[in-house]
Formats: sequence, structure tokens, C-alpha cells
Amino acid sequence: MSDKALHRFRQPISVPGPVLKHHITLAFVRKKVAGGGGRSVNFELPLIPFIDFLLCIVLFLLSSFSASGELPLDKNVRLPNAANVLDMVEAPMVAITGTQILVDGVPSGNVNAIVEANRLQRVDELFSVLKNKRELWKQINPGREFPGVAILQVDRKVPALVVKSVFQTSAFAGYPNISFMVGRLGGGDSGGGE
Amino acid sequence: MASIDTGGGHGGKRSVNFELPLIPFIDFLLCLVSFLLITAVWSQMARINADARVPGPPRPEEDIDKQEKPKELHVEMRGERKFQLVWKEGSTVVNTIDVDRKAVPIGTNEDIQYPDLAKKIEAEWKQNGSHRAPTDKKFDRAVLHVDNSTHFQDVIAVIDAINTPQREYNVGGAVETVPAFMVTFAAN
Repeated sequence: MSDKALHRFRQPISVPGPVLKHHITLAFVRKKVAGGGGRSVNFELPLIPFIDFLLCIVLFLLSSFSASGELPLDKNVRLPNAANVLDMVEAPMVAITGTQILVDGVPSGNVNAIVEANRLQRVDELFSVLKNKRELWKQINPGREFPGVAILQVDRKVPALVVKSVFQTSAFAGYPNISFMVGRLGGGDSGGGE
Repeated sequence: MASIDTGGGHGGKRSVNFELPLIPFIDFLLCLVSFLLITAVWSQMARINADARVPGPPRPEEDIDKQEKPKELHVEMRGERKFQLVWKEGSTVVNTIDVDRKAVPIGTNEDIQYPDLAKKIEAEWKQNGSHRAPTDKKFDRAVLHVDNSTHFQDVIAVIDAINTPQREYNVGGAVETVPAFMVTFAAN
């Protein structure tokens, strides 16, 4: 619609703006005192750089995304670090803290009993829990060979006697292939599995 | 907001200017970022393999003398001053090597490494290792013996040293680099 056509109609609502001090005759003074000609109050948001930034974050997070999720680490366990390591696999997690033995977070034995006995011994509670897990796996996966892999999450100060006891108990419960969970030292990575 | 302006649209025709819906797009990106941040895995955990010496099924059909006795490297971590590397075939000792026990601290996290032991084990594998070909499904075996009072941190440092020699291994057509020794954690 052209401007000429619009002039035919009386517009009851005018464009808002400064109305005072318009009677001053000097144009440059009137402009100064009455306002107008100032900086626009509208502001264009720089959305394109913002979208670029978001896209960069999305790409970075997608590249570091792991579908397997984070493995639960007991807060009382301080793991040692090693350089020649393998990637993690999914398996039952046996954690040895200062006082307790946990299988997937469930208490399954006591460290103090082994330390007080001061000899290698089978942890009966751990044995039965792991054996039950093995039986359950076989029921869920009939006809498949049981991998026998368990992951040991051991605090760095735990004595070898406790580790040996848990290790042997796991082996006799049907988990002879043990992996020790460690942190990566210096980014060394020897690739995939066996 | 973002728009595509071609300068046309006059003469009663439909406007060819187009407003891009950036706000829903930004909302979508923010949701994606939130989801990825929540599910992100920041801790890089790894594993070190070891197996237990569990008696296998008896093989009565084979003559005992003909049953193979593979060469094994026994790493003795007893005492404070040295490691002992013993090559054995069955119960027969083939060779014994002493290595000084020098722990080198790594980083600020009380981690240690045994670089002298790692070098010696690598040299020994290059000299005496039997399974080297990528197509070879078997691994040379190293048996670790430690005192009951040894801290787990020291055990891991020694297993890390044993895993230093690496070999190529063919997994379904893809060649991967894996530790040359299969470590057995001895209970005695």
C-alpha cells in the first residue's frame, strides 16, 4: 500500500515521541533540547556467533560421548594409575574398600576378617553372590559361553593378601579372568581387548 | 532476527523474504547441550588384565610326557631390594635374572613405576618370547608372585611393567596392539 493512500485516513494514534519544547525556532537548539535523533534503543542480538558456539559445544560433547555410561566408582576407593591399560568392559564390579567388599555396590564380605586371619582364605559371602550372578547370566544367555570376567576395584593401600583372597574366591566362583580397574597414566592406551 | 532478504516482493506478489526460526533452533541446541553434559563421562577409567591359575580339566588321553610345558616368566616380588625374573619350563628353571627394585614416582598422586623392570622384561620377551605373530592366538605367560603385605599400588606398578612389551594381535581382521604377556596373579 502506498503512502498517498494512507494520507486519506486520519490516524487517531500518533507515533510516540518527545512533544515538549517543540516551539523553539532555532532548529539545532530545538533538536538538542527536544530530543530525537539519538541512538536507537532497539538492539540486534548477535545470534549467529551464539549458534556457532553452541554447535561447537554440541560437536565436542558428541565426540566424547560414551554410550556405555560411567562406571560406578566407590567414593572410598582410591585407584592406582597405570600406563599400559585396556579399555573398560562391562562385568560384575567387585570393590574392595578399607573395610568392606562390595559386589555392584552390595556388601558381600569383610576385609578385616581376612586381615585378622592373616592367611589366604575364601570369602564365603562373596563366593555365593558371584556364583548366583553366574547362574543368573547362564539362565539369561542359554547356549552362550560364560566369559568369566569380573572387575576388581581395589584401593591402592589394600594389602596383597586381601586382593589374593578376593581374586581366588572370584576365580573359584567362576570368574577366573579378572581385570583390575585403574586410572590412565599419561594417556597411554594399548587399544582394545584381547 | 535472522532473515533472508532478496529485495523482491513488490507488485502484489508474495514476499520472498523469509524469517528463519532461530529461537526454536537455539532451544533445541540448548537441550542437546544439557543432555550431553549430564550424560558426559569425565573420568577415564581403564583396566589391567590378570587371570587366576585355576586347575583345568584333566587330560587322561594324553601322555603326561607329551603334554606341552610352555616357557613362563615368573616375576618374584619378594623383599625390598630386588625383583627376580625366572624363566621356567614346567617346574624346570631355565634362567634367573635379578633386577634392582627402583621405584620412580610419577606425578603428584603417589603413583610409581618400575622403568628398569619394564626395560628388562621387554628385553627378555624380545629374546625368549614364543608368541609374536599377529595371527598367534596364544600369549606368553608371566606369573606374578608378591608378598602378602605388598600394597596393591605396587602390584599394579609391576603388572604395568610386565605389560610394557606389546605385540600385534589380529582380532577379526583388524590388527590391534596388546600386551605381549598374559599375566597370572599367583596366590602363593
